[in-house]
Amino acid sequence: MLIVSCLTCLGAEPGLRPFYNRMKSLRKYLAILTWCAAAGLALAADSGGPDSPAIRKELVQVILGIDGDRQTLLNDLSETGSKLVGDTLLAWTRGSIYLYPSPDGTKQPVLLEDAQDATGKARAIRLSDGEFLKDAAGKELRFGDNDLIAADTDMRLRSAIRQTVDTLALASPDKDARFSAVTKLGNSQKSMYVPILQARLTKETDSTVKRAILEGIASLQIGDRDPQVQIAAVGHLAALHSIGNLETLQKLAASPKTDPQLIKAANAAVGSIQSHIWWVNFFGTIFRGISLGSILLVVALGLAITFGLMGVINMAHGEMIAIGAYTSYVVQNLFGTGFAFAINLPFSFMGKQLGFSLSLPGLNATGWFYQSYFLFVLPLSFLAAALAGLVLERAVIQFLYRRPLESLLATWGVSLVMQQLFRMVFGANNVQVNSPTWLLGHCTLNDVSFGYNRLFVIGFAIMIVLGTWLLLAKTPLGLLIRAVMQNRSMASCMGVRTTRVNMLTFAFGSGLAGLAGAFLSQIGNVGPSLGQSYIVDSFMTVVVGGVGSIIGTVYSALGIGTADQVLQQLLGSPVLGKIIVLTCIILFLQWKPGGLFAIRGRSLD
Amino acid sequence: MNKYLHSLMGLTAGLSLTSSVLADDTVKVGVLHSLSGTMAISETSLRDVLLYAFDEINTAGGIKVGDKSYKIEPVVVDGASNWPLFAEKAKQLLEEDKVAVTFGCWTSVSRKSVLPVYEKDNGLLFYPVQYEGEELSKNIFYTAEAVNQQATPAVDYLLAQGKKKFYLIGTDYVYPQTTDLILYKYLLLHGITIENIGGGLRKDADGKVISAGKYVPFGHTDFQQIVAEIKQFAASGDACVINTINGDSNVPFFKEIVAAGLTPSDCPVVSFSLAEDELRSMPTKDMVGELGCWTYFMSLTTPENTAFMKSWFDWLGTQTHPGVIKEKRAVDSPMVLSYDGVYLWKQAVEKAGSFDVDKVRAALETGTDSFAGPGGKITMQANHHATKNVYIGETKANGQFKIVQTFDQVYGEPFMLKGLDAKLGAK
Repeated sequence: MLIVSCLTCLGAEPGLRPFYNRMKSLRKYLAILTWCAAAGLALAADSGGPDSPAIRKELVQVILGIDGDRQTLLNDLSETGSKLVGDTLLAWTRGSIYLYPSPDGTKQPVLLEDAQDATGKARAIRLSDGEFLKDAAGKELRFGDNDLIAADTDMRLRSAIRQTVDTLALASPDKDARFSAVTKLGNSQKSMYVPILQARLTKETDSTVKRAILEGIASLQIGDRDPQVQIAAVGHLAALHSIGNLETLQKLAASPKTDPQLIKAANAAVGSIQSHIWWVNFFGTIFRGISLGSILLVVALGLAITFGLMGVINMAHGEMIAIGAYTSYVVQNLFGTGFAFAINLPFSFMGKQLGFSLSLPGLNATGWFYQSYFLFVLPLSFLAAALAGLVLERAVIQFLYRRPLESLLATWGVSLVMQQLFRMVFGANNVQVNSPTWLLGHCTLNDVSFGYNRLFVIGFAIMIVLGTWLLLAKTPLGLLIRAVMQNRSMASCMGVRTTRVNMLTFAFGSGLAGLAGAFLSQIGNVGPSLGQSYIVDSFMTVVVGGVGSIIGTVYSALGIGTADQVLQQLLGSPVLGKIIVLTCIILFLQWKPGGLFAIRGRSLD
Repeated sequence: MNKYLHSLMGLTAGLSLTSSVLADDTVKVGVLHSLSGTMAISETSLRDVLLYAFDEINTAGGIKVGDKSYKIEPVVVDGASNWPLFAEKAKQLLEEDKVAVTFGCWTSVSRKSVLPVYEKDNGLLFYPVQYEGEELSKNIFYTAEAVNQQATPAVDYLLAQGKKKFYLIGTDYVYPQTTDLILYKYLLLHGITIENIGGGLRKDADGKVISAGKYVPFGHTDFQQIVAEIKQFAASGDACVINTINGDSNVPFFKEIVAAGLTPSDCPVVSFSLAEDELRSMPTKDMVGELGCWTYFMSLTTPENTAFMKSWFDWLGTQTHPGVIKEKRAVDSPMVLSYDGVYLWKQAVEKAGSFDVDKVRAALETGTDSFAGPGGKITMQANHHATKNVYIGETKANGQFKIVQTFDQVYGEPFMLKGLDAKLGAK
């Protein structure tokens, strides 16, 4: 989508103009001039842009691999600074440039538009001129993914392409693109990039990119022959806390050939970088602990209501989570190509196969609209799970409030039934849920990286805890809920409609589980047994926190999460860490059977 | 008790008299896979491809022994992802059904569990799934990839790409542990230093390395810490990851890799347990360029593979076997190796002129029994492993592999540790 729009409206972008001045390849400059003269400058403002034909031609050449060495062509292209080149080359590495065998026997590289029609086919854009492919009658041709053969790349070619894109990206208006370009060049160990980076440094305005350029130059200069340059570079790297160059520095310090002064400098740099790494790990671990704790919290909060407040040992809690996750799958498909399923029952009636099926058409959304599907998932998953909870409460649980053991068995049965239902509707295999792009990626602060999905879950946890607290503490319904949970019969005597409050509370708790599922679909598997893997963690969190205490659940989730990550970091093994955490929990519960925040009361239940 | 059993069997024999008259020219063949439980997702595909192979052979006239031709009568039993049950079912196949051969097992632990049964009753088992080696039973033929037909070629490829640092990660059980230990020694032998092999080492009391790499339990979901570690490991830009994680833990692992911004051009991940079948439920759009290594890829364009795929998908559409799913199917290496195994056995039977296990084994052990399968020529060796082609592939957005390198006719070597130890000792 992005690529397509860039291909077609490139020429309209005035910001590209300054790049042309920087072009070093005189040959191409001349070619463009000649072309401009021929085609008339008036065209440049509204059509393909002045450099398009020449660049397009070269792109076609490089993709088809004819007429000259790909490497030289790529080098040429890297100097254009054109966004078209970057986008096309990236599309090529992703296998989305296709080869169209034209009627005259030649092959034409084409891009498929993102917008597909109902049959999954899309219009093809010819790379050589940016027009749609048409047949002899002038009708636009449409293709599916498998109708055309993708233009091949292999690892070697792809790294060459990447390098082209990187040098190209040094001049990109996007600072992230510039940053990653600089890092790539810095790690390349090719001293030929030093002048390119130095030239860029004078123009760079962004501080993080500047820092990366300095680091890149220094790490390239370590390979220099002059010890003075090397010492200066080592000094720079130490000041910049360059983690990537730690090993190079260690090797430099250990090598017998190294100049003694340089060894001293290198050792100092190694020490300073190592202490930096310690701090990065420290803060990174704390962050990961909080993020794991937030996941535990999001998963357990619903149970803190249904089990903690209501006292229902709800073994189907995991399946409520799964409902949320599957909602996210269904909504994603509705925004895409649609969702359909069919169940055939294993018996027939009067010669007809019984069963039911559902087919929902998709919106075929693209771009930001498609990416926003997750915003719709959140309320819908809450509603879907809340509805399921409501049904479960009315059908099963309302008869079992005074019989916790039976409620355990009954909900366990319900959970098995629901798992089988998921298998029938969605299949036994896991389903694919693609994360929206704004949840992928990460930002880095002083070398500690914060994944967007992790930041999201922390914010998400804060929101739902706040929401739950507000509901319970500040609304009339909350007051009723607390009254009923404290003493069902007394509340009933005071005129509270306890059945209704029970129903709503259970639905609310289940809805929270659904929200958890919606988030879990972004970081892990969505399958029929999704709930099983979280049910134990949920109960553990609620019990440690103290049954009946929401704030206890918050503390216990964060505590367990952080302890788990810290131990994992210290012991270097995910299993050992978990064993120690679980052992500590067992010991803790011996000491404080009521959990962190035991509710003291006079009721005997 | 025994008497009672005999009379019972006599009774059933009497009941099935009519069918046994019809079944004069048939041979019973066992299929021993998990059709329920956690492994069912992978193993049912193998059952399906075996049924396909049997149908194909039966339609073509069956197996010719002497002047008679025999139709294959499959006996399908369900191991139910329950390892002791595998042994019981194997016993049932050998002692009650008296099958001539069994095709089956996926996990190493199920194979280890049935091995004593096959040795005691002198049965014949064909095993089709990539495994750790260090085993050789006279009653098992391994069409599977040995370590030197998957793991070490992948490492060779990465070394040739200029990779200098290797991070090993896997699920904690016998296959990843053994494979990684072999790879650890293999990498040392190829000049990679210990500090450039990531994931951690475990040593026994004498300081001998007994385990290399990072291990997570089945179903692990939280890969934050591990990926952060890989990211630091890969900061210098010449690292790669060897992934032997099994099952659906791969999804959170790859999602974390993507979230951390580790791209295949910086730090490729080569996975040994992800084939086309598994990729159907993976976020493949974010995995373009990650590597796989198998002895068959669906994207092979050989005439054998084209014909095989066409015939297989035609069969899927028309077959009436209960429980075989028709839609959204893929083919992968374990399936093709199962299929190859059936033909290798058929040829050996025809050559031996008998279904007798000892005679068939002798025919297979001659080292001349070869078959032009969908993945290329496969030849059974005297050591019960098979010589075959090995392919390195890069994952594409549609869940297929683009083949980037082919190793022709690699000899299957089950015992690598000893040789590596000797070479390392000599160094």
